[in-house]
This record gives sequence, C-alpha cells and structure tokens, in this order.
Amino acid sequence: MTALAAGSRRPRSFPASPRYLAGRLAQAVLALFGVTTIVFFALRLSGDPARLLVPEGASAADIERVRDQLGLSDSLWHQYLSFLGNAVRGDLGYSYVQNRPATELIAERLPYTANLAVAALILSVVFGVTIGMVTALKRGRWQEKVLMPIVLIGQAMPAFWTGLLLVLVFSVALRWLPSTGYDGPLSLLLPSVTLASLSAAAIARVTRGAVLEQLSQDYIRTARAKGAGTTRLVFRHLARNSAIPVLTVAALELANLLGGAVVTEVIFAWPGIGQLTIQSVSARDFPVVQAIVVFASAVYIVVNLLTDLLYGVLDRRVAGGTKAGAA
Amino acid sequence: MHRRTRAALALLAALLTLGSAACGIEPASADRGPDTITIDTANYPSTLDPGKQYDTDTYSVYRNIFDQLLRRDPRTNRVVPWLATSWRQTDPLTWRFAIRPGVRFSDGSPLTAADAAFSISRILDKKYGSQQYANFSVIDSAAADGSDLVVRTSVPSPTLLSYLTTLSVVPQAYVRRVGDKQFAVKPVGSGPYRLASATAGSQIVLTANPRWWGTAPSIRTAVFRAVPNVASRVADLQSRKVDLATSLTPDAADQIRRDPKLAILSTPTERVAYLAFNTIKGGATDDPRVRKAISQAIDYDALIRNLQRGYAKPINSMATPLAFGYDRSLPDNQHDPEAAKRLLRQANAVGATLVMATSPSFDPQVVQAIQGDLAAVGLNVEIRNSDQATYLKKVQDPGHDWGSIRFGKWSCSCLDSDGVIYPLFHTGEIWSSYTNPEFDTLVEQARETTDVARRTTLYRQSFDLLGRDLPGIGLFQSYAVYGANSRLQWTPDASESLFLDRMKVS
Repeated sequence: MTALAAGSRRPRSFPASPRYLAGRLAQAVLALFGVTTIVFFALRLSGDPARLLVPEGASAADIERVRDQLGLSDSLWHQYLSFLGNAVRGDLGYSYVQNRPATELIAERLPYTANLAVAALILSVVFGVTIGMVTALKRGRWQEKVLMPIVLIGQAMPAFWTGLLLVLVFSVALRWLPSTGYDGPLSLLLPSVTLASLSAAAIARVTRGAVLEQLSQDYIRTARAKGAGTTRLVFRHLARNSAIPVLTVAALELANLLGGAVVTEVIFAWPGIGQLTIQSVSARDFPVVQAIVVFASAVYIVVNLLTDLLYGVLDRRVAGGTKAGAA
Repeated sequence: MHRRTRAALALLAALLTLGSAACGIEPASADRGPDTITIDTANYPSTLDPGKQYDTDTYSVYRNIFDQLLRRDPRTNRVVPWLATSWRQTDPLTWRFAIRPGVRFSDGSPLTAADAAFSISRILDKKYGSQQYANFSVIDSAAADGSDLVVRTSVPSPTLLSYLTTLSVVPQAYVRRVGDKQFAVKPVGSGPYRLASATAGSQIVLTANPRWWGTAPSIRTAVFRAVPNVASRVADLQSRKVDLATSLTPDAADQIRRDPKLAILSTPTERVAYLAFNTIKGGATDDPRVRKAISQAIDYDALIRNLQRGYAKPINSMATPLAFGYDRSLPDNQHDPEAAKRLLRQANAVGATLVMATSPSFDPQVVQAIQGDLAAVGLNVEIRNSDQATYLKKVQDPGHDWGSIRFGKWSCSCLDSDGVIYPLFHTGEIWSSYTNPEFDTLVEQARETTDVARRTTLYRQSFDLLGRDLPGIGLFQSYAVYGANSRLQWTPDASESLFLDRMKVS
C-alpha cells in the first residue's frame, strides 16, 4: 500500500504509477470484452456452420441434428451468456470441425507464428532502421535516390505478390530454398522476407521522418558546430531521440505479425495462426474464430501497454500519464 | 553457389535455427526415397476419425489408414468386395455381409463383424454427432451374427451399397478404451497404412502397415502436406518438393503441362456444374419459357473449351454419365441465342433483371461467362457473390428469397441420380426451389425400389420431366485435375479418392 501511495505521488518516475497501470488494464479488459462481443454476434449473423458440416444431400432434419449437437439451436442470449461464463473460466469452447479445444488449436499454431513474426521483425528493424537513417543523412544524394524507390515498392507490393515472386525465383528457378511448409530454418527465409518487406518499409519511413526532424533541431547544429562526427552524431544523439516513433511502429508491426500474417502464411503453407484464421472463418468454426479474436486482441493490448511502458524508459515525461512537458 | 553466398546462407540458417529452437518448433522433413511419396492437398484433415468428417482432404488421408466395408472398382465404378467378401439381401430390408476372415488391426487385434456393426452404430448414435449421419440415416440397425454383419434399413434402399463404400471399419475395443477424442489423434485401423506422425495444420506422414492383409503396397511412406494456395501447390511441383498436388484449376494445369518432368492426371468425376432456378419466387425465372431461353442462351462449348480448358465434358441433364439413372438418349444442351431471344419476347421478359447467387468457391469465370451469354440475349444478370456459409444460408431458406439463378457444383459421392435430383428438386428439400407432385412421386418411388429395371424407368421419367420443366441446367461434368511428377504411376478415379495402395513410384 505504501508503494502504491508513494507511486501515485511521484507521477514522473519510472516504473509507471500503479494508477496509470490499473487504468490501462481496465481499458484493456473493456476493449477485449467489446471486440469479443462484436465478433460473437457478427459471426452468428453471417452463416450457419451446420450447413457446412453436413454432406450435400442432407435434409433439414439432418442439419437440425447437427445444430442441436453444437448448441446452436439455443437462443442467441443463452449462447452468449454461456460463452462469457466459460470464457471467464478460460474455456473458449471446442472446434466444431476438429472437435478439440480452441485454445489447444491456437497453442499448437502459436510457435510457428511467433517464430515467423520474430524473424520478420528482426529483418524489418535491421533493414528499416538502416535504410531510414541512410536516406535521412544522405538526403539528396545518390543513396537516397536508390533506396527511396525500394522502400516505396516494398510498401506497395502486396504480400501474395512478393511471396510468389520470391518462390518463383528462389525455389522454382534456382532451387535454393524450400517453397512451402517448414522443413528446417531455411524455410523460414522466404516467408519472413515477404513479411519483412512490408514492415521494413513502414519502419524505414518512420525512422527517416524522425531523423530528419531531429536533424533540424538546435542541439544537432550545436553538436555539429562542436565538431562531432557522423558516427558520434548517429549513435549518441539521433538513435536515442528518434527511438520512440520507431519503437511504436515496430511494436504495432509485431502485434500485427503475431495476430496472424494471414496472406503470407497461406502462400507459404505456414501452419500458424493466420492459416488457422482463414480455415476457421470459412468453416464458420465459431469457437475457434472467437478464440483467435480474443488472442489477437490480447496481443495488441499487451504490446501497446508494454510499448507505453517502454516509452517511460526512453522518455520519463510520459511515464506518469501527463504529457504536459512533452512538447 | 559462391562461397560467400553459401557462407551467408549458413550464417542465416544458424541464426534461424536458434530462433526456431527458441520457439520450440521442429522441422517436419521426411527423406524422399524411391518408395516415398509427397502429396500436396488444399486442407489439413479436420480429423483422423473416419466416423466424423466427410470432406475430400480428410477422406484422402484416413481412408488409407482404415479398410472400407466395400470399395469401387476404379475402372468400372462397380461396387466390389473389400472387408465384406460377399453379400446378399435376405429380404427387402435386410442385408447380410460376410466379413473377411483373418484381418487384423495394426495393434494386432482381430477385425470382426462386431467391429463393422460398431462402426455403423456409432455414426447413427446421436451423442457421437457424426457429420456423415445423413448418408447412413436409412439404416435401422447394424449387428454381428457370427462372422456376418447384418444391416437392416427402414425402407428398401437401392443406394445402401454405394454409401457402404465410404464406411471405414474401426476397432471397437480400442475406440471404447481410449475414447473418441484420443482415437481421432491416434487412430488404429486395419488399412494398408498407419499413422507415423502428424504435425498439426501442416503435414501427416503415413507408413505401410506390415500387418495388412492385402498385397504389400509399393509405396512405403506417404507425406500429406496442407498447402491451401493453388499457386503454391504448383510451385511445389515445379521445385520438385512434391510428387502429387490435388485440386488444381484448369489454368494451373496449363502451367504444369509446359514442364516435361511433370504430368497432368485427370479424370471425369461425378461432380456436375449446374444452374438451378428459383421457380417459386424468382421473378422472371418463375416462367418456364424464360428458363428455356436461358438454357439456349448459354454457350456450353465455350465454357468447356475456353474456361475449363477441356477438363470437363458436355452432359444432357443434371446428372453425369457416371450416375445410375443417367439417360443417354436425352437431347444435348443446345446453344441457340436467336431462339432464346424469340422465347424471351414471347414471355415478355426482354430486359428483365435476374439476381444470380454464387460463392467464390465455385468457378467465378463460369459465372461471368454466363452473365455475358445472358446479356447477349437481353437479360441483365446481377451477380451476388457471398462466401460459402452465407450462400448456403441464403439459398437453403424455405422463404426462397435468394434471387433467380444460382450456380453451383454438386457431387453426392454415391454415383446415383437419387443423390443429385432428390435433394435438388424434391418439394421441401432445403436446396429445392421447385415443386412438382409428379416429379416428387417418381423420385420417392425410385429411392425405395431395389429393382434396377424399375428404377431405370423411374429416372428416365424424372429426367424427362426435368427436361421439360427445367428447374435447373446441367452445364458440364467436372474433372478432377492433379499435377504429378512423372515418376508417379497412378490412375485417378471418379470418386476423387487417393488410395495409396493403387500408386507406384519409379
């Protein structure tokens, strides 16, 4: 209790104040609840899973039988309340198609998506930050003229196109890398490059913007006047001061990637959350879709929360939740 | 590769290995010896319990782990003995099957008539919740009598044998001991293969079952991989990652044909591409003259030649020539736009707008081509595309408010006209937006008659009626199209099954 009280009296300190944390957590739970509710009802408005499960010649009675079995003939409110009740206890239901707990299905796919997401994030931060820095520092020079179009192409090319292009070159023509599936670390290369091409471009643009803004600040001019070299300038001043916007984008990209890089996973037959999402939505496998939504929203919320907390490390003015001194 | 490239790749591989190990995922590679085959299918099997699901990609895998009660001869499509060595009808409702002696499940326990009876009974059990129930609901009871399986139906059933070719026999004692959930993950069957490993969502490896009663299959190991994207399946074939890829589209087949080391294997199936009309609340299509005009407006030949690239065959009705009851003597579909225009003028329907319901899982190019054909004779077609679940919800509604025309593809996996025209056009069936008491009586009688000659006559009359009334148009018979490495020797069959014991690699 003392810690709590002390914390709230010292808003500008890090770690963030408990009140700030509690508020953020309450927001998070509310968001999770809202998203799940919307998905629950939207799913049930859209189509009947029982019809997809029966053979083509099945009669209305056969479908009714399956609906009973799945608990879909109960009233919508009854279904919703029992879903909420179970969800609170950590039970997100059984897959209609596979007859297994939805959480188990997600847990099984998570390592694949996490692996891909982390690989893609590393690639995109390394390439994105480098390209962003270089294009900002070498403004108007040939480096910028070469790199900027690449960034634009990277952001404009849809994943299914990049992915198939990479497969055609490296798997079909050169036979260097596996085309689909997971047969060891080399098969991680093409899908993670595909994913990274999108987020690296976003990170590059944000980095460039942030660095350009810093470059116009007085302290840089002062540092330059005092004779600081480029290396010192980049690592001592620019990196730290441009980090917040870059971190924000990177964190959101990670949340995106973890939530399911749907298209990329489908092209590369990567058995992650993204592929599971596609399968479950088209089969109207309600419990699995709901569980994925809960999971993806939770990832977003947690990543956002962690990002905000990390701001505190980089810029202590944010930690108390008051941004008065920030500008 | 240059030394530097190789070094860079090695470094990258090392990094990524660390990453993979940290996430706890294992490479799912399998060596590819001369007796190993790798197959790309569109979906990962939803279960390995053969009593539950029914979709093609699930079927393809589990039917190799289990033996079916009966099979079809891949050349003639006739029902032939498999686990049942012979059968006879003792009365119109009772069938007696002799079960093959000496068959053992892969865990060593013997397969008996009681296991066969159990396999049927569990599908009929409401608590079990099988999605195949509709196929077996005519069965009243299944029981063992010594080494015989005795099946009683509620009405005489001419299609019973057809559906029993899809019945896989499971071990009663094992299923009871481990429970349904565990059984679906660790299945034990008597079939030519057994489960070696499964990587959820990704791939399943089967190996030859040394206890199998038949001639040992030449393929020892089979890897089924789930690759949902058709372009990726083609790339897998081209990069020699797989030997066989299923569910290819006609344009993907064109790509494969250019590679001398690859082959296209295709076969006509019992799947029929069709239009069905709303004859109850369809607006313009309530008038039989408009339906007739539409049938004359369509350029069938162009659909087959240009869009299906020849992987389809013309048909004269709603069934394919593979189905029992198909009548070869009926007139073929005629493309005659002038006649169509005349009929539309008579019906006062020139310029009418028709809503066409479809789903992207059916060939969108065919839908657009038909839209063009109908525009050419003066009908406006508004295409309403919705995903499969929404499409079904819309068209299977007793209110019949889904529009005027729908496009679909149909297969009953039973090779019988009953499985096609009964559900599509019998009054009150969920798919049917047509009603005709005369037709209803004909198909009801045909469904409960085991007399072949009488059934043939009844279907001849039913198809005559459908030809006159036109509640639907059979557009063409679809092909199953597979891409294969030329080292694979295999002839695909009409039921779209992937029996590994019928394949060889050289």
